[in-house]
Amino acid sequence: MTNKQQDHTMQVAAQWWAKLREPHAGDDVVEQWLAWTSEDERHLQAFEQVSALAERLGTLDPMSRHALLRDFARPTPARQRWLPLAAAASIAVAMLCGVFYVAWMQRAAGVAAQVYQSGVAQNRDFILPDGTKVALGAASSLRVTYGSDERDVEVRGGEAYFEVVHDRRRPFVVTAGNVTVRDIGTAFDVRRTGERVTVAVTQGRVAIADRHAQANPHDTLEARAGQRVSYDPDASSMTVDLITPAQATAWRSDRLEFIDEPLSVVIANLNRYASKPVHVADTDLNVLSYTGTIRTDAIDSWVEALPEVFPLRVSTQAGQVVLSDARHTQR
Amino acid sequence: MNSVTLSMHVSDIEKLFREQNRALIAFLQCRLNSLSDAQEVAQEAYLRMLTMDNRDEVDSLRGYLFKIAGNLAIDRLRKRKVRSEFAVVQAQDEPVDEDSPVHHVVAVEQALSVRRALSELPAKTARAFVMHVIEGRDFSHVAQTMKLSERMVRYHVAHALAHCRAHVDETEVP
Repeated sequence: MTNKQQDHTMQVAAQWWAKLREPHAGDDVVEQWLAWTSEDERHLQAFEQVSALAERLGTLDPMSRHALLRDFARPTPARQRWLPLAAAASIAVAMLCGVFYVAWMQRAAGVAAQVYQSGVAQNRDFILPDGTKVALGAASSLRVTYGSDERDVEVRGGEAYFEVVHDRRRPFVVTAGNVTVRDIGTAFDVRRTGERVTVAVTQGRVAIADRHAQANPHDTLEARAGQRVSYDPDASSMTVDLITPAQATAWRSDRLEFIDEPLSVVIANLNRYASKPVHVADTDLNVLSYTGTIRTDAIDSWVEALPEVFPLRVSTQAGQVVLSDARHTQR
Repeated sequence: MNSVTLSMHVSDIEKLFREQNRALIAFLQCRLNSLSDAQEVAQEAYLRMLTMDNRDEVDSLRGYLFKIAGNLAIDRLRKRKVRSEFAVVQAQDEPVDEDSPVHHVVAVEQALSVRRALSELPAKTARAFVMHVIEGRDFSHVAQTMKLSERMVRYHVAHALAHCRAHVDETEVP
């Protein structure tokens, strides 16, 4: 069968499936369906395939189910409000400093805090004193404070991936803006773009909470491997969707992966790797959302190709790349 | 029935089983959204066929088989509904080990490709599909909520199902 015929058979099979789903469909409907299945053995085969797919989708794990319902079964697809560009970009600008360094600081309590920082376009891997492995993304900064009863890591900006050595008596807690992530035997990625935070779990489980809502324990959310939690600072809300471990840590292999994220967030993260910073001139561009991969060694060509997918113009002004709304009249 | 007609009847049912079992299972899986339930109900339907005492009134054994099976499926759906009202909703009839990384990766990949497929469809089509297939709402409920006719809901669901089938890579599924 050609692909076209196959597609057609699948269409018809799906139509039969929807017809037969009706518990009180008449005997004549069943007879007609049986006649169709005996016309060609591929008909029943196609019907079995759509039926099996429907069964699998009807029995998805609760998190996947919830995410699909949230995104597709709402009356009006209410999109999240976007983070103002300035907040997102400020981190990138603040991170333009050079090389990786480690600085010691003293805390009032006398517990040593250590700052780990990386330069633009430089990923760094290191191991913390307890054996926890950290991969730090470019232009990112962590502040690590190991106390006797808790291991605290603050993501001050950028992105980091943790493979945590679990210690029940000394929990490993990552804070990023308003979000706290508590490990329950885990590997996970935390990305902070201004106050917007995403946590992607690649192994085990984590408990994620909004620090401002800690009075209410229901605001703690448990995420498992394969799930991504996004914190939207404007709405103070967390949403859960899906991500593969490979996508979550693609940046470690020089690819930045984005799934349905505002252009402002994409650009702010891209700037952590870009030799020439990219600036979004028209804030209305920030409502555009992007899904795709950017190779960090081909940022320029990605930016050049943007006008093909988005209604925007790319220009270079004073050493920085500027994106402006193509719908505005030429100024 | 005497022993001769009984053995004839048994061989008729055997023939029916050989020729129709696959279609019967497919029909029941569609109704019940569960292959294991479909197999159980089919068993019961054959049993009823073997012990039927109105053979003379039945002109099509096949038609009768599907009728019995359809009624058994309705009973089962009704019982499920009662069960879920009194106990925890049983979203999954066959318990799976959710902690198994294999299960998880498969489920996640599948949900990702479904998401991708659905985002290519008109919002209405995706919504009707998600409400019916993923949330488990029946057509009349979806029709009311979306202010559409049931026929249109069925159209949207069928369209989305075929589209997803074409885009969800079957190799990901064990």
